[in-house]
Amino acid sequence: MSTTNTTNLADVARQAVDLARQKGASEAAATANRTRDVEMQWRDGRLDKVSEATTRGLSLQLYVDGRYSAVATSDLRPEALERFITDSIAMTRVLARDEHRRLPEPEFYAGRSAVDLAIEDPRQEKLTADERQRFVRELEAGARAADTKSAILSVTTAFGDTLREMYRVSSNGFEGGLRGTQFVASAQVSAQDPDGRRPEESDFAVARFFEDLPDAATLGRRAGERALGRIGSTKGASAVLTMAVDNRAAGRLVSMLLGPMSGGAIQQKRSFLDGKLGQPVGSGLLVLTDEPHVKRGLGSRLFDGEGITARPLPLFEGGVLRTYFIDTYYGRKLKARPTSGSASNLSWKLGSKGQGELLADLKEGVLVTGFLGGNSNPVTGDFSLGVQGFRVRGGKRAEPIGEMNISGNQLDLWKRLVAVGSDPYVNSAMRTPTLVFEGVQFAGV
Amino acid sequence: MTRRDFVGYGTTALAMAGAGELLSGCATTQRAGPGGPGGGSDGPSQSIGYFARFGVDETLIRETLAAALSRGGDYSDLFFQHRVSTSMALEDGAVNKAFTTVELGVGVRVIKGDQTGYAYTEELTLEAMRSAARTAAAIADGPSRPGPQRLHVFKDIPQRYVLKLGWDAVRPEQKLPILEGLNAAAFKADKRVSKVTLSFSDEHGAVLVADSNGRLVEDVQPMTSLYLSCVAEQNGKREQNTYGVAGRAGLDFYSPERLDRMVREAVSRTTILFEAIQPPAGELPVVLAAGSSGILLHEAIGHGMEADFNRKGTSIYADKLNKPIAHPFVNIVDDGTNEYARGAINVDDEGNEPGKTMLVENGVLTTYLHDSISAKHYKVKPTGNGRRESYRYAPLPRMRSTYMLPGPHKHDEIIASVKKGIYCTNFTNGQVNIGAGDFTFYVKNGYLIEDGKLTRPIKDVNIIGNGPKVLEKVDMVADDLVIDEGGWTCGKDGQGVPVSQGIPTVRVASITVGGRNA
Repeated sequence: MSTTNTTNLADVARQAVDLARQKGASEAAATANRTRDVEMQWRDGRLDKVSEATTRGLSLQLYVDGRYSAVATSDLRPEALERFITDSIAMTRVLARDEHRRLPEPEFYAGRSAVDLAIEDPRQEKLTADERQRFVRELEAGARAADTKSAILSVTTAFGDTLREMYRVSSNGFEGGLRGTQFVASAQVSAQDPDGRRPEESDFAVARFFEDLPDAATLGRRAGERALGRIGSTKGASAVLTMAVDNRAAGRLVSMLLGPMSGGAIQQKRSFLDGKLGQPVGSGLLVLTDEPHVKRGLGSRLFDGEGITARPLPLFEGGVLRTYFIDTYYGRKLKARPTSGSASNLSWKLGSKGQGELLADLKEGVLVTGFLGGNSNPVTGDFSLGVQGFRVRGGKRAEPIGEMNISGNQLDLWKRLVAVGSDPYVNSAMRTPTLVFEGVQFAGV
Repeated sequence: MTRRDFVGYGTTALAMAGAGELLSGCATTQRAGPGGPGGGSDGPSQSIGYFARFGVDETLIRETLAAALSRGGDYSDLFFQHRVSTSMALEDGAVNKAFTTVELGVGVRVIKGDQTGYAYTEELTLEAMRSAARTAAAIADGPSRPGPQRLHVFKDIPQRYVLKLGWDAVRPEQKLPILEGLNAAAFKADKRVSKVTLSFSDEHGAVLVADSNGRLVEDVQPMTSLYLSCVAEQNGKREQNTYGVAGRAGLDFYSPERLDRMVREAVSRTTILFEAIQPPAGELPVVLAAGSSGILLHEAIGHGMEADFNRKGTSIYADKLNKPIAHPFVNIVDDGTNEYARGAINVDDEGNEPGKTMLVENGVLTTYLHDSISAKHYKVKPTGNGRRESYRYAPLPRMRSTYMLPGPHKHDEIIASVKKGIYCTNFTNGQVNIGAGDFTFYVKNGYLIEDGKLTRPIKDVNIIGNGPKVLEKVDMVADDLVIDEGGWTCGKDGQGVPVSQGIPTVRVASITVGGRNA
């Protein structure tokens, strides 16, 4: 991890903690952050939008006479900041006391890894407007190259790069900073369907290093092919079918599982996973670890939002739930040792087959490539989600389907996991592979 | 979190603003502007409205606009914003956490044709603002154009949310009894209630739009919301549900009647879930209850009628202007003028005046929703729909309060007309694919309709349909329009803005219900 140039942020955070203590806080933690963001959008052969900005901000956790509040400001003018902290402390004093609100025990700051996460690309600083523009032009050319039927109505492409810096200081001994870059390229393609619909699809890539982005022509072409593939989509009949979920879409299902794993959800009795620790929740193929130290990983970190040292954390082993995401506050309320308040990168136990082979194995069913709306009840695990994708017939991708739903309960769904692909999706910290579930209720005609 | 949310032009979501952390809330003792817009006909001075609040003056604004036009942009505007948002939360019987966020900054936009250059800064010095302006100016590449020589205050703006007491003057102690009272009432209402959380939010915000025509427009923008969420337990089973209210209103919004209704609704909507089933899967007639079912209009129609998608030819409604798209008794408006509504605005975020826009009149699509770029493209007046989340974003055509006008039928007549279908009363979220027209909304509560009567409660089901097809299938509209009091937030291009919605009782002849077949 690089800590160069965070000195200024470190000073801001240290001064804010000092000021909070002077104004009456017994404990305080401050996070100063700065984000430099450039984005270029290109539409149908010309520049559509360019934006560029630097955001800075300060957030503070204040502990005053056993009371707590969290505040944030972008107004860093000295007089404004001083008044803000004074007012915030006054507001905190009217709240109820809460014995559980304290900074983490300093022992949780210990043992921080010295590994270089490799999440800052020095190339970002040197990128020029011409290079960004070349990328968005090539994305469009790639998308249009996919169009053999003259069905494309419009192509919008974008390239953005970001440098995020943060530095956190707490009054009981934590100090740490992070700098990371991110590059994003996307192509959105709108196509004309003979029935009057204008289906849109996109493809995109996110990477910590510019060199890890796929080549623009390939990425653009994939977006074009995806949009053209939506032409003529129909609503299939309601049925119980085998469902393969594309690696890009599968994160939606996984996020329904991770939310109810938070300590807050458990303590507030808002989780269908309450009481399930040590019990099987999914099939034996559900094997997941939280892995914070992945080099160039999108969710990589050395400490979490409270400063708790990041360590690998087994989440599911052979389908058995091994842990919750417990932060300091809910840990105290639950009388449980904090793990971490949130996930970093997920590491899956992968299967040996790619999506093509998995479809060949499943023969008849549906490949879901995207979700549309819907929700999951975190308390009961019941879910109902809009889907689009393709019928699978004879082991191959067949006609496109849309305007359909799937419904079920997560405690049932994850037990129906019958295959895990070999293809982790690298554009998300969840790194989901293609997942195959048996016996899923689809609603259509 | 992917960047697709920022550049994802395709999918637009309407999500209920949950009891989120940060954002929303009460106020600290920032200097308050006067209740209304300042200024007089004799032009600006150092003392009007928010110059003092933002610490900027007329010279600085003129110099920034001049820098914005230094490469020949057609038009430029500056959007100054100062917003103090506070929220207080009750959990496990105590109001023991609060969040405050202060935002201060200015966004600089330069338009050349329909191309946009955008930059913002949170440091309101001449140097920083000029630098942001030059960045935004780079969208154009011609000779410099002069900025405005003189600024004039546009002062005749309506006042749709005047407060007796601004949120900057409300003390936190005044809010505590509301939360404590609701908590006690919720536990008292039903023995099965085992957990209650509450989130009270308010905002005191001020904006100043200055443009290259020399126009200055100011607005003070209050907002408040309150969410009551319950978990109930019965025979080892748990359920949860939420009821929320929101408006551009002050502390007096929380009348005893409204607070009673919150408790009644939150508790009954939770406990009824123990009896509820998921409805059968497949196509069914769907009756939408008056009120928050307006989510159907927002998703199925409203987004597709935002002019940017039509200007780009990517909306399913792109070639449907002046064509019949629904039964003649269907009339849909997007309205910025409902006093104290969450979706109300005195001016939009480009400084344009919002009115009541007829989207569908007697079943015919009459206009799109415009910001200034699309209005110029279509050679029409802006409809006052140019909105943005904050100074960090360029404005886009966005809805305000979208609702359907009353129709010729009666509520009871509609229910009685359905042999087998569902009646939807309460929703959590929705989403749409603009171009394909496919949209969804998630039904949290409702009932089965069997032989013209409401029978079993239903829960947790996603409804999916296609906008134009569903609009054609709206075949009964009752006379009981309700505009929902809930706190809805509309997401588009990664920006959330507050909106309202409403509808009378409506029947859709058939739509796909994502239930389960036993």
